[in-house]
Amino acid sequence: MSAPQLKRWLPWAILALLVLLIVWRMLYLGTVSERFNAAFFARAAIDSVKLGSLYALIALGYTMVYGIIRLINFAHGEVFMVGAFATYFLFTITPYSLPGGIALAIVMAYAAMRVTELFRGSMRDPLVLGVGVVAVVGLTWALTSFTWPFWAALVGSMLATGVLGLTIDRVAYVPLRTAPRNSLLITAIAVSFLLQNVGLLAFTNRQTPFRPDTPLNDPFTLVVAGQPVLTNNLLVAIPVITLVLVLALTSFVTRSRLGKAMRASAQDAEVAQMMGVSVNKVIATTFLLGSILAAAGGAMWGLNFGSLNQPATLGILPGIKAFAAAVIGGIGSLPGAVIGAMIIGFSENFMSALFPRTPTFQGVTEFKDTFAFVLLIIVLLVRPSGIVGEDLSEKV
Amino acid sequence: MSADDRVPMLEMRKVGAHYGAIKVLHDVDIVIYPGEMVCLLGGNASGKSTTLKTILGIVRVTEGEMTFLGERADTLTTADRIERGMAVVPENRRIFPRMTVRENLEMGAYLRRDKKAIAEDMDYVFDLFPRIRERLDQQGGTMSGGEQQMLAMGRALMSRPKLILMDEPSMGLAPLFVERIFEIIKQVNERGISVFVVEQNANVALGIADRGYVLQTGEVVLSGRARDLLNNEAMKRAYLGDI
Repeated sequence: MSAPQLKRWLPWAILALLVLLIVWRMLYLGTVSERFNAAFFARAAIDSVKLGSLYALIALGYTMVYGIIRLINFAHGEVFMVGAFATYFLFTITPYSLPGGIALAIVMAYAAMRVTELFRGSMRDPLVLGVGVVAVVGLTWALTSFTWPFWAALVGSMLATGVLGLTIDRVAYVPLRTAPRNSLLITAIAVSFLLQNVGLLAFTNRQTPFRPDTPLNDPFTLVVAGQPVLTNNLLVAIPVITLVLVLALTSFVTRSRLGKAMRASAQDAEVAQMMGVSVNKVIATTFLLGSILAAAGGAMWGLNFGSLNQPATLGILPGIKAFAAAVIGGIGSLPGAVIGAMIIGFSENFMSALFPRTPTFQGVTEFKDTFAFVLLIIVLLVRPSGIVGEDLSEKV
Repeated sequence: MSADDRVPMLEMRKVGAHYGAIKVLHDVDIVIYPGEMVCLLGGNASGKSTTLKTILGIVRVTEGEMTFLGERADTLTTADRIERGMAVVPENRRIFPRMTVRENLEMGAYLRRDKKAIAEDMDYVFDLFPRIRERLDQQGGTMSGGEQQMLAMGRALMSRPKLILMDEPSMGLAPLFVERIFEIIKQVNERGISVFVVEQNANVALGIADRGYVLQTGEVVLSGRARDLLNNEAMKRAYLGDI
């Protein structure tokens, strides 16, 4: 077989072998104990898909920012954390007092305007201004009048966190546009610490239970091979919301004018500038979109686990795993981020199911946090550009 | 009418530019008149590409001043200069490799909103480069060097420019292709678009240009009509080789 042919078939061969091994392992476990039946593995798969979706929402922000300014935005995990807490507060302590309501409404309305602007091209566009006015009035009323349902808190948190992303870029990264890349990286770490500590002061300093009363949390029973598996609507909601957001992002990036400018900037920022693209605008847009997605992830993270870690730790592990996901998939690539996130979601939950605790073996559950990083190391050794990443040796 | 009575399209007066603390352009005086084709010659690291980037606003003018279409231009952003009629064919083509040919052309028209006129200009590009039409949905990076050069020129034309800046259009192309490309440059110029070509291949460039400038370590050391430069003794020794 010729070399290019081999190159094309090898990944599929590896995948097939992997699937075969997993199936074989599952069948084998089935003979060991009847505890390891189809329902047992279904439960692991369900957890994997949910977790993978959440990682995907975070990983997209890492990969977009990296694609354009080659910055590993270490503050992104904290953006996710703020998104989670913003949802929590919008949900638990609405209605607000009037001054607080107005302030928050202005922040969210600004984000709504920026999102509308993505399609209209100018902040002075009548539609953008209209959205701004309606949003300020409507949100002020909504924030001060009643307790928000979960879905509204989710959207509100996405908007507020989007503004946080824009602010981080404007305050911390714009002044360093021409600085050496390490300065930017160190600044990102500083922003991350800053947000952790501001979170501790402003939100809470302890584990926060979060079990909102929403239909998304309603339980239902799935029947797998005759066995009941108790789960809840999140099983459908998390992947579906993720899918919708990912599709919206993809179509924005491939179809819209600014989205094309984003891709062009990622491929060659200087030439994009020579075409008249404002690279600062493009960068701000990636921070806006990345933060909005991370906030959606944060909102559903709380829902999925029923509680939020304290602000200084909540963002770290999900953030760093999502980063690993982006690298595994191929940093800079949107589909890569989603694929990498799913792989990590599965490695975390499905490994525990494939090597469960038995009378003679203590199981690998305790090591589940390490699989993401073992995978990361393997991918970096074998294929540093990631699964769907561009070949790094490609001439520039 | 002598050349100097005309109103210049682009004029650089005693322009200096820096990379950090290092001064890379010294007192550069360059004038381009409407409809003219001007070439900028010079060896490696003579400041040719920097001059081009300075005209575009990628590199900042730190001394002297520059006007474009009668307006002070050295304080304008790159986007503003593009909008006023500049376009560039960068060194090594630098098309967007993972965008389709169509998207590459669309990026050339990034600042324009007149959909109908954009479609017309795309047809013009297709007439000029029939090969591009056949490859519209192909990724830019999968095309050959010559095709990429055509695409880069098409992309520049998509902004309906008054002045096209070209950085080493002959670089890395087969001799036959170099000839084709310069033929097309001439054709574009004959449509009334001013062309400013930065070239190492002095023979070819002077063969079709109206005037030329020679740059050495960031200074203009020689300038004049292309025909005179071709016959200039110093020029022959330094750049043209024995012909």
